[in-house]
Amino acid sequence: MSAYLGQIGAIAWKDLLLELRTRERVVAMGAFAVLAAVLFNYSIDRTVVRPQDIGAGLIWMTIVFGGLLGVGRTFHLEAEDGALQGVLMSPVPKDAIFLGKTLSNFVLLYIVSLLVVAVFMLFFGMELGTSPPMLALALALGALGFVALGTLFAAVSSGTRMGETLLPILLFPLLIPVIVFGAGATGRLLSGRPVSEVVGNIRMLAAFALMAVAAGSVLFRFVVED
Amino acid sequence: MSGKGMRLTGTALAGLGLLGMLLVYSLSFFWVSTELSQGVAQRIFYVHVPAAWTTFLAFGIAAFTSGMYLWLRDERLDRAALAAAEGGMIFATIMLTTGPLWGKIAWGTYWTWDPRLTSTLLMWFIFLGYFMVRNSTENPEKGKRFAAVVAIVGALDIPFIHLSVVWFRSLHPDPIVLKPDRPSLPADMLIVLLTSVLSFTMIFLGLFLLRYALETLRAGQQARAREATA
Repeated sequence: MSAYLGQIGAIAWKDLLLELRTRERVVAMGAFAVLAAVLFNYSIDRTVVRPQDIGAGLIWMTIVFGGLLGVGRTFHLEAEDGALQGVLMSPVPKDAIFLGKTLSNFVLLYIVSLLVVAVFMLFFGMELGTSPPMLALALALGALGFVALGTLFAAVSSGTRMGETLLPILLFPLLIPVIVFGAGATGRLLSGRPVSEVVGNIRMLAAFALMAVAAGSVLFRFVVED
Repeated sequence: MSGKGMRLTGTALAGLGLLGMLLVYSLSFFWVSTELSQGVAQRIFYVHVPAAWTTFLAFGIAAFTSGMYLWLRDERLDRAALAAAEGGMIFATIMLTTGPLWGKIAWGTYWTWDPRLTSTLLMWFIFLGYFMVRNSTENPEKGKRFAAVVAIVGALDIPFIHLSVVWFRSLHPDPIVLKPDRPSLPADMLIVLLTSVLSFTMIFLGLFLLRYALETLRAGQQARAREATA
Protein backbone atom coordinates (compact mmCIF):
# COMPACT_ATOMS: atom_id res chain seq x y z
CA MET A 1 0.00 0.00 0.00
CA SER A 2 2.69 2.51 0.97
CA ALA A 3 4.65 1.51 -2.13
CA TYR A 4 1.56 2.25 -4.23
CA LEU A 5 1.12 5.65 -2.59
CA GLY A 6 4.81 6.27 -3.19
CA GLN A 7 4.35 5.57 -6.90
CA ILE A 8 1.38 7.95 -7.09
CA GLY A 9 3.45 10.55 -5.28
CA ALA A 10 6.41 10.06 -7.61
CA ILE A 11 4.28 10.60 -10.72
CA ALA A 12 2.58 13.64 -9.22
CA TRP A 13 5.87 15.11 -7.99
CA LYS A 14 7.46 14.63 -11.42
CA ASP A 15 4.63 16.61 -13.02
CA LEU A 16 4.66 19.31 -10.38
CA LEU A 17 8.44 19.65 -10.61
CA LEU A 18 8.15 20.09 -14.38
CA GLU A 19 5.48 22.70 -13.78
CA LEU A 20 7.60 24.41 -11.14
CA ARG A 21 10.43 24.74 -13.65
CA THR A 22 8.46 25.70 -16.75
CA ARG A 23 5.47 27.39 -15.06
CA GLU A 24 3.66 27.01 -18.40
CA ARG A 25 0.28 25.70 -17.41
CA VAL A 26 -0.24 27.53 -14.14
CA VAL A 27 0.73 30.88 -15.69
CA ALA A 28 -1.57 30.24 -18.66
CA MET A 29 -4.48 29.26 -16.43
CA GLY A 30 -3.86 32.10 -13.98
CA ALA A 31 -3.60 34.72 -16.72
CA PHE A 32 -6.76 33.31 -18.28
CA ALA A 33 -8.61 33.63 -14.96
CA VAL A 34 -7.67 37.26 -14.42
CA LEU A 35 -8.35 38.24 -18.03
CA ALA A 36 -11.70 36.43 -18.02
CA ALA A 37 -12.72 38.40 -14.93
CA VAL A 38 -11.75 41.63 -16.74
CA LEU A 39 -13.85 40.62 -19.75
CA PHE A 40 -16.79 39.69 -17.51
CA ASN A 41 -16.64 43.15 -15.96
CA TYR A 42 -17.17 44.75 -19.37
CA SER A 43 -19.73 42.19 -20.52
CA ILE A 44 -22.22 42.96 -17.75
CA ASP A 45 -24.03 46.21 -17.22
CA ARG A 46 -23.58 46.92 -13.54
CA THR A 47 -26.62 49.18 -13.46
CA VAL A 48 -28.78 46.19 -14.47
CA VAL A 49 -27.22 43.24 -12.61
CA ARG A 50 -25.14 43.20 -9.50
CA PRO A 51 -21.93 41.17 -9.98
CA GLN A 52 -22.64 39.40 -6.66
CA ASP A 53 -25.81 37.89 -8.12
CA ILE A 54 -24.03 36.10 -10.94
CA GLY A 55 -20.59 35.87 -9.35
CA ALA A 56 -20.81 32.19 -8.36
CA GLY A 57 -21.71 31.12 -11.89
CA LEU A 58 -18.95 33.24 -13.41
CA ILE A 59 -16.42 31.85 -10.92
CA TRP A 60 -17.23 28.28 -11.94
CA MET A 61 -17.28 29.01 -15.65
CA THR A 62 -13.85 30.60 -15.31
CA ILE A 63 -12.56 27.56 -13.39
CA VAL A 64 -13.94 25.15 -15.98
CA PHE A 65 -12.62 27.02 -19.04
CA GLY A 66 -9.29 27.82 -17.41
CA GLY A 67 -8.99 24.28 -16.12
CA LEU A 68 -9.61 22.92 -19.60
CA LEU A 69 -6.63 24.94 -20.77
CA GLY A 70 -4.31 23.25 -18.28
CA VAL A 71 -5.83 19.77 -18.11
CA GLY A 72 -5.84 19.48 -21.91
CA ARG A 73 -2.06 19.71 -21.85
CA THR A 74 -1.57 16.95 -19.28
CA PHE A 75 0.00 14.60 -21.79
CA HIS A 76 1.34 17.20 -24.18
CA LEU A 77 4.92 17.54 -22.99
CA GLU A 78 5.33 13.80 -22.60
CA ALA A 79 3.81 13.00 -25.97
CA GLU A 80 6.27 15.27 -27.76
CA ASP A 81 9.42 13.27 -27.17
CA GLY A 82 7.90 9.87 -26.51
CA ALA A 83 8.40 10.23 -22.74
CA LEU A 84 4.89 8.92 -22.15
CA GLN A 85 6.01 5.52 -23.45
CA GLY A 86 8.74 5.55 -20.82
CA VAL A 87 6.30 6.37 -18.04
CA LEU A 88 3.90 3.68 -19.24
CA MET A 89 6.68 1.08 -19.48
CA SER A 90 7.93 1.78 -15.97
CA PRO A 91 6.87 -0.83 -13.39
CA VAL A 92 4.07 1.39 -12.06
CA PRO A 93 0.46 0.22 -12.34
CA LYS A 94 -1.58 2.22 -14.84
CA ASP A 95 -4.07 3.30 -12.21
CA ALA A 96 -1.22 4.74 -10.11
CA ILE A 97 -0.13 6.75 -13.15
CA PHE A 98 -3.68 8.01 -13.54
CA LEU A 99 -3.98 8.91 -9.85
CA GLY A 100 -0.60 10.65 -9.89
CA LYS A 101 -1.52 12.70 -12.96
CA THR A 102 -4.90 13.52 -11.42
CA LEU A 103 -3.22 14.60 -8.18
CA SER A 104 -0.81 16.95 -9.94
CA ASN A 105 -3.62 18.39 -12.07
CA PHE A 106 -5.67 18.82 -8.92
CA VAL A 107 -2.94 20.80 -7.18
CA LEU A 108 -2.63 23.11 -10.20
CA LEU A 109 -6.36 23.58 -10.67
CA TYR A 110 -6.95 24.15 -6.96
CA ILE A 111 -4.36 26.92 -6.89
CA VAL A 112 -6.07 28.46 -9.91
CA SER A 113 -9.55 28.08 -8.32
CA LEU A 114 -8.46 29.93 -5.20
CA LEU A 115 -6.90 32.59 -7.42
CA VAL A 116 -10.17 32.92 -9.37
CA VAL A 117 -12.13 33.47 -6.15
CA ALA A 118 -9.55 35.99 -4.93
CA VAL A 119 -9.71 37.87 -8.23
CA PHE A 120 -13.50 38.05 -8.11
CA MET A 121 -13.37 39.30 -4.50
CA LEU A 122 -10.92 41.98 -5.54
CA PHE A 123 -12.51 43.08 -8.83
CA PHE A 124 -16.17 42.89 -7.89
CA GLY A 125 -15.95 43.67 -4.19
CA MET A 126 -17.58 40.40 -3.20
CA GLU A 127 -17.46 39.14 0.37
CA LEU A 128 -16.14 35.68 1.32
CA GLY A 129 -19.54 34.80 2.76
CA THR A 130 -20.68 32.54 5.54
CA SER A 131 -17.95 29.99 5.80
CA PRO A 132 -14.66 30.27 3.91
CA PRO A 133 -13.63 26.70 4.91
CA MET A 134 -16.82 25.28 3.37
CA LEU A 135 -16.22 27.36 0.25
CA ALA A 136 -12.69 25.97 0.05
CA LEU A 137 -14.08 22.44 0.47
CA ALA A 138 -16.68 22.92 -2.29
CA LEU A 139 -13.99 24.24 -4.62
CA ALA A 140 -11.69 21.33 -3.76
CA LEU A 141 -14.31 18.62 -4.37
CA GLY A 142 -15.51 20.28 -7.58
CA ALA A 143 -11.95 20.62 -8.84
CA LEU A 144 -11.22 16.98 -7.97
CA GLY A 145 -14.23 15.68 -9.95
CA PHE A 146 -13.27 17.94 -12.84
CA VAL A 147 -9.61 16.91 -13.03
CA ALA A 148 -10.38 13.19 -12.67
CA LEU A 149 -12.65 13.19 -15.74
CA GLY A 150 -10.42 15.79 -17.38
CA THR A 151 -7.27 13.68 -17.03
CA LEU A 152 -9.02 10.59 -18.41
CA PHE A 153 -10.42 12.44 -21.43
CA ALA A 154 -7.20 14.40 -21.97
CA ALA A 155 -5.57 11.00 -22.50
CA VAL A 156 -8.38 10.08 -24.92
CA SER A 157 -8.32 13.33 -26.89
CA SER A 158 -4.52 13.48 -27.13
CA GLY A 159 -4.68 10.08 -28.85
CA THR A 160 -6.98 11.39 -31.57
CA ARG A 161 -6.41 13.50 -34.67
CA MET A 162 -8.63 16.25 -33.30
CA GLY A 163 -6.54 16.64 -30.14
CA GLU A 164 -7.63 19.22 -27.59
CA THR A 165 -10.58 20.42 -29.70
CA LEU A 166 -12.34 17.21 -28.78
CA LEU A 167 -11.90 17.68 -25.03
CA PRO A 168 -14.74 20.15 -24.33
CA ILE A 169 -17.17 18.08 -26.43
CA LEU A 170 -16.41 15.01 -24.35
CA LEU A 171 -16.10 16.77 -21.02
CA PHE A 172 -18.78 19.48 -20.84
CA PRO A 173 -21.85 17.22 -20.92
CA LEU A 174 -20.36 15.19 -18.07
CA LEU A 175 -19.53 18.22 -15.95
CA ILE A 176 -23.09 19.47 -15.41
CA PRO A 177 -23.21 18.01 -11.86
CA VAL A 178 -20.00 19.84 -10.90
CA ILE A 179 -21.42 23.13 -12.18
CA VAL A 180 -24.86 22.66 -10.61
CA PHE A 181 -23.68 21.59 -7.16
CA GLY A 182 -20.49 23.67 -7.16
CA ALA A 183 -22.04 26.93 -8.34
CA GLY A 184 -25.08 26.26 -6.13
CA ALA A 185 -22.97 25.88 -3.00
CA THR A 186 -20.71 28.80 -3.91
CA GLY A 187 -23.64 31.11 -4.63
CA ARG A 188 -25.33 30.36 -1.33
CA LEU A 189 -22.17 30.67 0.73
CA LEU A 190 -21.19 33.95 -0.95
CA SER A 191 -24.62 35.46 -0.32
CA GLY A 192 -24.39 34.65 3.37
CA ARG A 193 -26.84 31.74 3.64
CA PRO A 194 -26.27 29.22 6.47
CA VAL A 195 -23.89 26.29 6.00
CA SER A 196 -26.74 23.78 6.52
CA GLU A 197 -28.14 24.84 3.11
CA VAL A 198 -25.08 23.63 1.21
CA VAL A 199 -24.37 20.33 2.97
CA GLY A 200 -26.37 18.41 0.34
CA ASN A 201 -24.45 20.07 -2.49
CA ILE A 202 -21.12 19.26 -0.83
CA ARG A 203 -22.10 15.61 -0.42
CA MET A 204 -23.10 15.36 -4.07
CA LEU A 205 -19.82 16.98 -5.12
CA ALA A 206 -17.97 14.39 -3.02
CA ALA A 207 -19.97 11.52 -4.54
CA PHE A 208 -19.29 12.82 -8.04
CA ALA A 209 -15.57 13.18 -7.34
CA LEU A 210 -15.48 9.64 -5.98
CA MET A 211 -17.24 8.27 -9.07
CA ALA A 212 -14.93 10.22 -11.40
CA VAL A 213 -11.74 9.09 -9.64
CA ALA A 214 -12.90 5.45 -9.50
CA ALA A 215 -14.03 5.40 -13.16
CA GLY A 216 -10.80 7.04 -14.27
CA SER A 217 -8.55 4.63 -12.36
CA VAL A 218 -10.33 1.62 -13.84
CA LEU A 219 -10.67 2.91 -17.41
CA PHE A 220 -7.33 4.70 -17.84
CA ARG A 221 -5.46 1.47 -18.65
CA PHE A 222 -7.74 0.88 -21.67
CA VAL A 223 -6.97 4.35 -23.01
CA VAL A 224 -3.17 4.14 -22.86
CA GLU A 225 -2.57 0.51 -23.82
CA ASP A 226 -0.82 -0.06 -27.16
CA MET B 1 -27.23 -16.14 -36.21
CA SER B 2 -25.62 -16.05 -39.66
CA GLY B 3 -25.17 -12.75 -41.50
CA LYS B 4 -28.01 -13.52 -43.86
CA GLY B 5 -30.35 -14.66 -41.11
CA MET B 6 -29.56 -11.49 -39.23
CA ARG B 7 -30.36 -9.30 -42.24
CA LEU B 8 -33.66 -11.14 -42.81
CA THR B 9 -34.63 -10.93 -39.13
CA GLY B 10 -33.65 -7.27 -39.06
CA THR B 11 -35.73 -6.47 -42.14
CA ALA B 12 -38.70 -8.42 -40.77
CA LEU B 13 -38.53 -6.73 -37.37
CA ALA B 14 -38.16 -3.25 -38.83
CA GLY B 15 -41.01 -3.97 -41.28
CA LEU B 16 -43.29 -5.24 -38.53
CA GLY B 17 -42.38 -2.23 -36.42
CA LEU B 18 -43.26 0.14 -39.29
CA LEU B 19 -46.61 -1.62 -39.77
CA GLY B 20 -47.13 -1.25 -36.03
CA MET B 21 -46.43 2.47 -36.38
CA LEU B 22 -49.18 2.71 -39.04
CA LEU B 23 -51.51 1.13 -36.52
CA VAL B 24 -50.33 3.49 -33.78
CA TYR B 25 -50.89 6.53 -36.03
CA SER B 26 -54.40 5.45 -37.02
CA LEU B 27 -55.31 4.57 -33.44
CA SER B 28 -53.96 7.79 -32.04
CA PHE B 29 -55.66 9.94 -34.69
CA PHE B 30 -59.03 8.21 -34.97
CA TRP B 31 -59.62 5.96 -32.00
CA VAL B 32 -58.12 6.97 -28.68
CA SER B 33 -59.99 9.50 -26.56
CA THR B 34 -58.72 13.07 -26.37
CA GLU B 35 -57.06 14.08 -23.14
CA LEU B 36 -59.14 16.62 -21.22
CA SER B 37 -56.69 19.33 -20.25
CA GLN B 38 -54.07 19.14 -23.02
CA GLY B 39 -56.38 18.39 -25.96
CA VAL B 40 -55.11 17.06 -29.26
CA ALA B 41 -51.49 17.98 -28.55
CA GLN B 42 -51.31 15.17 -26.04
CA ARG B 43 -51.32 12.65 -28.90
CA ILE B 44 -47.63 13.32 -29.60
CA PHE B 45 -47.10 11.45 -26.32
CA TYR B 46 -47.58 8.16 -28.27
CA VAL B 47 -44.43 8.95 -30.26
CA HIS B 48 -42.46 10.84 -27.65
CA VAL B 49 -42.57 8.37 -24.77
CA PRO B 50 -41.70 5.26 -26.85
CA ALA B 51 -38.80 7.19 -28.42
CA ALA B 52 -37.57 8.02 -24.92
CA TRP B 53 -37.84 4.41 -23.83
CA THR B 54 -35.92 3.26 -26.92
CA THR B 55 -33.18 5.85 -26.34
CA PHE B 56 -32.59 4.57 -22.81
CA LEU B 57 -32.65 0.97 -24.03
CA ALA B 58 -30.08 1.83 -26.71
CA PHE B 59 -27.88 3.69 -24.26
CA GLY B 60 -28.02 0.76 -21.86
CA ILE B 61 -27.05 -1.72 -24.59
CA ALA B 62 -24.25 0.53 -25.86
CA ALA B 63 -22.77 1.02 -22.37
CA PHE B 64 -23.08 -2.66 -21.45
CA THR B 65 -21.55 -3.99 -24.69
CA SER B 66 -18.81 -1.34 -24.46
CA GLY B 67 -17.86 -2.58 -21.01
CA MET B 68 -17.89 -6.18 -22.21
CA TYR B 69 -15.79 -5.19 -25.21
CA LEU B 70 -13.07 -3.69 -23.04
CA TRP B 71 -13.07 -6.88 -21.01
CA LEU B 72 -13.31 -9.60 -23.71
CA ARG B 73 -12.05 -7.71 -26.81
CA ASP B 74 -14.56 -9.46 -29.04
CA GLU B 75 -15.16 -7.43 -32.21
CA ARG B 76 -18.81 -8.48 -32.17
CA LEU B 77 -19.39 -6.64 -28.89
CA ASP B 78 -17.95 -3.44 -30.36
CA ARG B 79 -20.20 -3.78 -33.42
CA ALA B 80 -23.21 -4.22 -31.12
CA ALA B 81 -22.21 -1.08 -29.18
CA LEU B 82 -21.86 0.93 -32.40
CA ALA B 83 -25.19 -0.31 -33.76
CA ALA B 84 -26.97 0.49 -30.48
CA ALA B 85 -25.38 3.94 -30.21
CA GLU B 86 -26.46 4.86 -33.76
CA GLY B 87 -30.01 3.71 -33.05
CA GLY B 88 -29.97 5.58 -29.78
CA MET B 89 -28.92 8.81 -31.46
CA ILE B 90 -31.81 8.53 -33.96
CA PHE B 91 -34.41 7.96 -31.25
CA ALA B 92 -32.90 10.64 -29.00
CA THR B 93 -33.28 13.04 -31.94
CA ILE B 94 -36.94 12.01 -32.31
CA MET B 95 -37.49 12.58 -28.60
CA LEU B 96 -35.77 15.97 -28.73
CA THR B 97 -37.86 17.14 -31.68
CA THR B 98 -41.28 15.88 -30.56
CA GLY B 99 -40.81 17.17 -27.00
CA PRO B 100 -40.46 20.88 -27.85
CA LEU B 101 -43.36 20.68 -30.34
CA TRP B 102 -45.59 19.54 -27.51
CA GLY B 103 -43.98 21.87 -25.00
CA LYS B 104 -44.79 24.93 -27.14
CA ILE B 105 -48.50 24.10 -26.85
CA ALA B 106 -48.62 22.70 -23.32
CA TRP B 107 -46.08 24.91 -21.57
CA GLY B 108 -46.05 27.83 -23.99
CA THR B 109 -42.33 27.46 -24.64
CA TYR B 110 -40.22 25.19 -26.83
CA TRP B 111 -37.50 24.63 -24.32
CA THR B 112 -37.28 24.70 -20.55
CA TRP B 113 -34.39 23.61 -18.39
CA ASP B 114 -36.32 20.68 -17.08
CA PRO B 115 -34.37 17.66 -15.75
CA ARG B 116 -35.60 15.20 -18.33
CA LEU B 117 -35.06 17.59 -21.23
CA THR B 118 -31.59 18.44 -20.05
CA SER B 119 -30.52 14.84 -19.43
CA THR B 120 -31.71 13.85 -22.90
CA LEU B 121 -29.92 16.72 -24.58
CA LEU B 122 -26.71 15.80 -22.76
CA MET B 123 -27.19 12.15 -23.65
CA TRP B 124 -27.40 13.21 -27.29
CA PHE B 125 -24.09 15.02 -26.88
CA ILE B 126 -22.50 12.01 -25.19
CA PHE B 127 -23.56 9.93 -28.23
CA LEU B 128 -22.04 12.64 -30.44
CA GLY B 129 -18.76 12.42 -28.52
CA TYR B 130 -18.89 8.64 -28.90
CA PHE B 131 -18.95 8.92 -32.71
CA MET B 132 -16.43 11.76 -32.89
CA VAL B 133 -13.88 9.87 -30.81
CA ARG B 134 -14.47 6.71 -32.79
CA ASN B 135 -13.84 8.37 -36.12
CA SER B 136 -10.86 10.53 -35.23
CA THR B 137 -8.11 8.01 -34.50
CA GLU B 138 -5.52 6.74 -36.97
CA ASN B 139 -5.86 3.22 -35.62
CA PRO B 140 -9.47 1.89 -35.67
CA GLU B 141 -8.85 -0.41 -32.70
CA LYS B 142 -7.85 2.60 -30.59
CA GLY B 143 -11.00 4.41 -31.65
CA LYS B 144 -13.11 1.49 -30.48
CA ARG B 145 -11.45 1.49 -27.05
CA PHE B 146 -11.81 5.27 -26.69
CA ALA B 147 -15.47 5.14 -27.72
CA ALA B 148 -16.13 2.36 -25.21
CA VAL B 149 -14.60 4.51 -22.44
CA VAL B 150 -16.87 7.43 -23.46
CA ALA B 151 -19.97 5.21 -23.37
CA ILE B 152 -19.14 3.78 -19.95
CA VAL B 153 -18.30 7.11 -18.31
CA GLY B 154 -21.45 8.54 -19.93
CA ALA B 155 -23.59 5.81 -18.42
CA LEU B 156 -22.03 6.35 -14.98
CA ASP B 157 -22.53 10.09 -15.28
CA ILE B 158 -26.16 10.10 -16.42
CA PRO B 159 -27.58 9.44 -12.90
CA PHE B 160 -25.51 12.33 -11.56
CA ILE B 161 -26.62 14.60 -14.38
CA HIS B 162 -30.22 13.67 -13.73
CA LEU B 163 -29.95 14.19 -9.96
CA SER B 164 -28.18 17.48 -10.40
CA VAL B 165 -30.72 18.91 -12.82
CA VAL B 166 -33.57 17.71 -10.60
CA TRP B 167 -32.03 20.12 -8.06
CA PHE B 168 -33.60 22.75 -10.28
CA ARG B 169 -37.39 22.96 -10.40
CA SER B 170 -39.11 20.43 -12.67
CA LEU B 171 -41.89 21.16 -15.16
CA HIS B 172 -42.00 17.84 -16.98
CA PRO B 173 -45.07 15.63 -16.41
CA ASP B 174 -44.29 12.89 -13.92
CA PRO B 175 -44.05 9.25 -15.02
CA ILE B 176 -47.51 7.90 -15.59
CA VAL B 177 -46.95 4.26 -16.57
CA LEU B 178 -43.78 3.05 -14.88
CA LYS B 179 -44.50 4.03 -11.32
CA PRO B 180 -44.85 2.14 -8.06
CA ASP B 181 -48.65 1.74 -8.06
CA ARG B 182 -50.85 0.98 -11.08
CA PRO B 183 -50.52 3.09 -14.24
CA SER B 184 -52.91 6.05 -13.99
CA LEU B 185 -53.65 6.13 -17.71
CA PRO B 186 -57.09 5.31 -19.17
CA ALA B 187 -57.19 1.86 -20.79
CA ASP B 188 -57.45 3.06 -24.41
CA MET B 189 -54.50 5.42 -24.04
CA LEU B 190 -52.47 2.69 -22.40
CA ILE B 191 -53.22 0.32 -25.32
CA VAL B 192 -52.00 2.86 -27.91
CA LEU B 193 -48.94 3.66 -25.84
CA LEU B 194 -47.96 0.03 -25.39
CA THR B 195 -48.52 -0.70 -29.11
CA SER B 196 -46.25 2.20 -29.89
CA VAL B 197 -43.58 1.11 -27.40
CA LEU B 198 -43.64 -2.35 -28.97
CA SER B 199 -43.40 -0.92 -32.51
CA PHE B 200 -40.55 1.43 -31.61
CA THR B 201 -38.66 -1.38 -29.90
CA MET B 202 -39.10 -3.62 -32.98
CA ILE B 203 -37.93 -0.86 -35.32
CA PHE B 204 -34.92 -0.26 -33.08
CA LEU B 205 -34.04 -3.96 -32.86
CA GLY B 206 -34.51 -4.31 -36.64
CA LEU B 207 -32.22 -1.36 -37.33
CA PHE B 208 -29.81 -2.69 -34.74
CA LEU B 209 -29.54 -6.08 -36.47
CA LEU B 210 -29.23 -4.53 -39.94
CA ARG B 211 -26.53 -2.14 -38.76
CA TYR B 212 -24.71 -4.96 -37.02
CA ALA B 213 -24.86 -7.17 -40.14
CA LEU B 214 -23.58 -4.26 -42.26
CA GLU B 215 -20.65 -3.74 -39.91
CA THR B 216 -19.85 -7.47 -40.05
CA LEU B 217 -19.84 -7.37 -43.87
CA ARG B 218 -17.61 -4.32 -43.80
CA ALA B 219 -15.14 -5.97 -41.42
CA GLY B 220 -15.05 -9.11 -43.62
CA GLN B 221 -14.49 -7.02 -46.72
CA GLN B 222 -11.64 -5.11 -45.07
CA ALA B 223 -10.03 -8.38 -43.95
CA ARG B 224 -10.21 -9.71 -47.54
CA ALA B 225 -8.75 -6.47 -48.89
CA ARG B 226 -5.84 -6.77 -46.45
CA GLU B 227 -5.23 -10.37 -47.50
CA ALA B 228 -5.26 -9.38 -51.17
CA THR B 229 -2.62 -6.69 -50.66
CA ALA B 230 -0.43 -8.89 -48.44
